[in-house]
Amino acid sequence: MEGRRKVLVIDDEPDLVEMIRMALESQFEVVTAYNGKEGLEKARSDKPDAIVLDIMMPVKDGFTTCQELKGDSETSSIPVLILTGVEEHFGRSKYTKASGMEIEAEDFISKPVDPNELVRRVNALLKRD
Amino acid sequence: MWARLKIPERLPFRSLGSKLIFSFLLVVLAGGLASSIIGTYMVGNTIMAEAQKKVRHDLDSAWMVYQEKLRRIQDVLHLTAKRDLIMRAVTGGQVEVLRQELERVRIDYGLDFLTLTDKKGVVLTRTRTPYQGGDFQGNDEMVRRALKKEIVAATEIVPQEELAKEGPELVRQVYMEFVPTPKAKERPETRETSGMMLKAAVPILDINNNILGVLYGGNLLNRNYEIVDKIKDIVFKGERYKGKDTGTATIFQWDLRISTNVKDKSGLRAIGTRIARDVYDQVLENGRAWIDRAFVVNEWYIAAYEPIRNIKGEIIGILYVGTLEEPYTDLRNKVIYSFFGIAFLGLVLVLFLAYFITRSITRPIGELVEATKVIAGGDFSHEVSIQSKDEVGHLAFSFNRMTRTLKDTMEELYILNNKLQDLNRHYLEMVGFITHELNQPMGVLKGFLILLRDESLGPLVNLNQKKAISTMLRNVNALINMIQKYLQLGRIESGKMEVNKVRIPIFAEALSSILEDEKPQLDARKMQMIVENEEAFRKVEGEADPVLLRIVFSNLIGNAIKYAQEGGKIWCGFKEEPEELLFYVKNEGRGIPADKLTKVFEKFTRLEGELEQRRGGTGLGLFNTKEVVERHGGRIWAESEEGKWANFLFTLPKGGKGE
Repeated sequence: MEGRRKVLVIDDEPDLVEMIRMALESQFEVVTAYNGKEGLEKARSDKPDAIVLDIMMPVKDGFTTCQELKGDSETSSIPVLILTGVEEHFGRSKYTKASGMEIEAEDFISKPVDPNELVRRVNALLKRD
Repeated sequence: MWARLKIPERLPFRSLGSKLIFSFLLVVLAGGLASSIIGTYMVGNTIMAEAQKKVRHDLDSAWMVYQEKLRRIQDVLHLTAKRDLIMRAVTGGQVEVLRQELERVRIDYGLDFLTLTDKKGVVLTRTRTPYQGGDFQGNDEMVRRALKKEIVAATEIVPQEELAKEGPELVRQVYMEFVPTPKAKERPETRETSGMMLKAAVPILDINNNILGVLYGGNLLNRNYEIVDKIKDIVFKGERYKGKDTGTATIFQWDLRISTNVKDKSGLRAIGTRIARDVYDQVLENGRAWIDRAFVVNEWYIAAYEPIRNIKGEIIGILYVGTLEEPYTDLRNKVIYSFFGIAFLGLVLVLFLAYFITRSITRPIGELVEATKVIAGGDFSHEVSIQSKDEVGHLAFSFNRMTRTLKDTMEELYILNNKLQDLNRHYLEMVGFITHELNQPMGVLKGFLILLRDESLGPLVNLNQKKAISTMLRNVNALINMIQKYLQLGRIESGKMEVNKVRIPIFAEALSSILEDEKPQLDARKMQMIVENEEAFRKVEGEADPVLLRIVFSNLIGNAIKYAQEGGKIWCGFKEEPEELLFYVKNEGRGIPADKLTKVFEKFTRLEGELEQRRGGTGLGLFNTKEVVERHGGRIWAESEEGKWANFLFTLPKGGKGE
């Protein structure tokens, strides 16, 4: 074991970020960002092992952020877990798992987020490496 | 019953115009035909009655000609008997003088014979060679009467032997063989040898009025056409019609034509032919006149027959006149043709008029029909321009008013509808906004509560804390559930729901996560979830939007848990049908009343239930579910046995049907 794995949480909602941070803290080192732009910077500087990314965000939304992450060779190998709301499935259901993933994220989790489930999913992502 | 109520796309069509024209035609045909038939019948009868009256009159005229001839003979004889020369010669017994003088009289006056007897009735002299005399004629009725100083004239039959005495040429003149005549009455004889004559007998008296002798004589009628031709000339004025004599006259000796101007087929006078049987019976046997149409030789005549009688009143022959029927039938036919011609012209005129009348009636109606079509097509601005002041005009006026009212109403409705849509949009936006804004904090609340409950943030020190936190979590979950239903509704109602169908394994994509999520609730109520036909269910693939299908299963299973009895069973299953896939979620419990089975799918419908069950109900779950299923091209319905179970079933089309 070479120290704790690092997870970057990108969400514009501080309370939710706080909740996720508390959920992950017991097992991971948590870095947080509050918009896409900041998230991208942190992804490059902190080199996290996984990223939890919200879709609906100001400044730079989750889609763009994810595309840029995957387009950058520095960050493209970091697995991304996307947070989606049910309402987003109605309007943009194209990026469901079954449709072949329009955004190249590794996994999706629906809001409201069950912290236990989130921890399980992040662990699952990290085991892939 | 239902089939009869069905309105066909096109109604069987028979135009009003053709119906009207047909009616007109029927009336005119019936009227025209009736009046034509009655008219021609009456006119025909009148014409024929007139013809018979005229023939009756002609017969009277013919009799006058006949009698005048007889009187002339009588007059000649009478005047001759009174001449001094004759009286003296008779008194003086100068037979030669008498013969010369009387022969001159006979020839001068065209008599066939003239004979003188003495006062005993013995013939003194005849006036034709061989001037036979000395025979007794006192037995002859007319001579007998003349001897008694009577002057008599009549038609008489003269037997052959008597004729032979008067003059042998006369025997030849009267001899006539019967010409076979189809309708004649059978007679044993085949020829006629006696003659029929107009005869007169007058006494010769001295100055003391003593009888000196009798003068008798006359004209044979056999082959003597003087009378019949005179009748023709005087009565019928010799008129001809289409090359035929319009009037004919005949003298019959008994039933034999002895003098006539009726022509046979070869154009000769038809003497020797005989009378028809029915006329024979009527006139000769019964002595009555006979007036009717008769087929004479080869033409139809309107004929009149009357018996000729001798001095004793015995019937010895017939006088006949006939007028050609053809002019009358032609006249009648002309009238009939005129009648029918006028009727036909009337018919044509009526047709012509009917066409225009009908057109004037149906054209505005046709215009109305067109207008209704335009309006049925949704164009309410169309107005009909009919100016007539009749019912059709009224109809058009009302129609236009109706159209205008409709148009106004439609506009009002349109405005109202727009307002409503605006309102609905605002409402949806508001609901969307609120639920969206609620969703986020609820998610945060839920997350923290789970962390607290699981003591991830440190141990809970007593039971009340644990109880409080799980109650909070349960309520937050209920709220989140409600919010999500509203979010779904918002998407559906605002038309933003996109259905992206892909081929998915149904069980894995849409059901397994739900079963997992609902497990705590099932356990809490000690319920058992049974997946039926599981092996096939796990294999089946279908065309569906996985996210939406998850909502369907989530709502149905969530409902089953909520409404089923505690400790009951829930069955979830699948069945493959020829055209579609059938899924169902069935639960034990109080079920659904029969009258609510369709109502449960309506928006904001919630079943009466215990407080516990109603909690967290939005009345939207089944509505959303139904929308989603139908957008997939499937059907959804509920079945139930009240007090025992409820079953919700839905289908998905197998192929790429639906959206």
